[in-house]
Amino acid sequence: MNDPYQVLNVPSTASDEEVKKAYRELARKYHPDNYHDNPLADLAQEKMKEINEAYNTIQKMRQRGSGTAQSQYGGHGPYSGYGGYGYGGSSAQGTPLQRARMAIQRNDLHLAEQLLAAISDRTAEWYFLRGAVCMRRGWLDEALRHFRQACAMDPGNPEYRQALERLENSGQAYRPAGFEVFTSDCGGGSLCGGLMCSYCLCNSCMGGTFFCR
Amino acid sequence: MFGYVRPAMDRLTEEEQGDYGALYCGLCHALGRRYGPVSRWILNYDFTFLAALLSGGLETEERRCIASPLRPKRAAAGDPALDLAADLSVILTGYKLRDEVLDASFFKAQGCRAAGAALGGAFRRACQARPRFADHTRQEMDRLLRLEQARCPTLDEPADTFASLLAGVAGEVEDPVQRRVFSQLFYHLGRWIYLVDALDDLKKDAGEGQYNPILLRYDLAGGELTPEARRDVVITLDASIRQMAAAFELWDFGRWSGVIRAAVYEGLYRVGNGVLEGTFHASPRRRQRRGKKEHI
Repeated sequence: MNDPYQVLNVPSTASDEEVKKAYRELARKYHPDNYHDNPLADLAQEKMKEINEAYNTIQKMRQRGSGTAQSQYGGHGPYSGYGGYGYGGSSAQGTPLQRARMAIQRNDLHLAEQLLAAISDRTAEWYFLRGAVCMRRGWLDEALRHFRQACAMDPGNPEYRQALERLENSGQAYRPAGFEVFTSDCGGGSLCGGLMCSYCLCNSCMGGTFFCR
Repeated sequence: MFGYVRPAMDRLTEEEQGDYGALYCGLCHALGRRYGPVSRWILNYDFTFLAALLSGGLETEERRCIASPLRPKRAAAGDPALDLAADLSVILTGYKLRDEVLDASFFKAQGCRAAGAALGGAFRRACQARPRFADHTRQEMDRLLRLEQARCPTLDEPADTFASLLAGVAGEVEDPVQRRVFSQLFYHLGRWIYLVDALDDLKKDAGEGQYNPILLRYDLAGGELTPEARRDVVITLDASIRQMAAAFELWDFGRWSGVIRAAVYEGLYRVGNGVLEGTFHASPRRRQRRGKKEHI
């Protein structure tokens, strides 16, 4: 295993509070919510596991003999939270919708699409699963349409609502501290003031910096 | 379609700004060395960012150039990623010019044709150097052309062509994990660029009757976004940037982490906001010329 301090990116002399802060920041970054319906969810899960292990190791080293390590974020069993749908009756013999759900979980999007295309009865769940496939393919506008349709057909379903909220509300996702600009809201800052401009990069040519400020 | 990808300068340390400048110079030298002086004019922000994504490190040397003939400048050197970025830049520019010849008015088309001819030899050599990426780019550009001709009324389908095209860059890296991360990052970078470009051209395309997926998707006759369309376009642009950021966190971009972080957590949002509010211009060249005249 890697040096746990290196994994958390803190010196071994860091205080308990600093270690905890570093751990929390990383756990927020790789949290399942940021990788829901993301084809890279398994990589994020690995990261989270590594971070949890590093944090636990440091806790144990520091509290040797004095009680148990503190609780940790996420990353329990395989696929808990990372794009999994917690589908219960896990059998390949399920209904086409259940099989589509499992195909999505395995990231077999081609099969999921085939299964969904063959279903003529388009329920709220059908739209939800279609949306999940679109999310993973990066077809985000179609995903939005399908998630909205699922929510309109079954407004009380928390799973569909959460999927729609995750896509619609960009404020929930991880950002490093202090980064708060959105496409809809530039926070009042001036555009050109802060953006890299090639005439700054090549500052000796063509009167360069004239345009940068 | 180029000129939108910029890190937020004020988020970079002075050292990072200097490094990024050296990368820009290094890419310019790589273009000149591989494809002759004419190819240097294709250099822009997006290709420098591409080089940052591909590079990881930075070794520099002091070099004079036409832009700085007396005082040698610090330029990135000896990095195979610069050659790769130079090759991809030439291929992308070559296809972009071809696309514009088909797309543009008669006089503009002549300009693009001339530019394409000037770049012709370089374009052929770049395609030979990276045949897989060149083939892939041609296929995706052809697919885009067919969708444009059919006036495809969705956002995702035409955006998927340019997104897949850029995701093809991932095919040029060896490490399997890096390839997956890059494929996702470049896909959404391409998707975002395509959609921001469509948003930027909304009024112009509405006036000229040109294909624009946003006009068709929301049935906008005059090129003005309705509040609902505006909201949905913002959602889809923000979501693509989030996907880029999520991918970015899964690979160590080494020396360029700060630059890329400043783009995927701020710079792209700012550019999108500028395009949305009509305060962004993709081509500072044109503005600069105009500005200079006014200044004089």
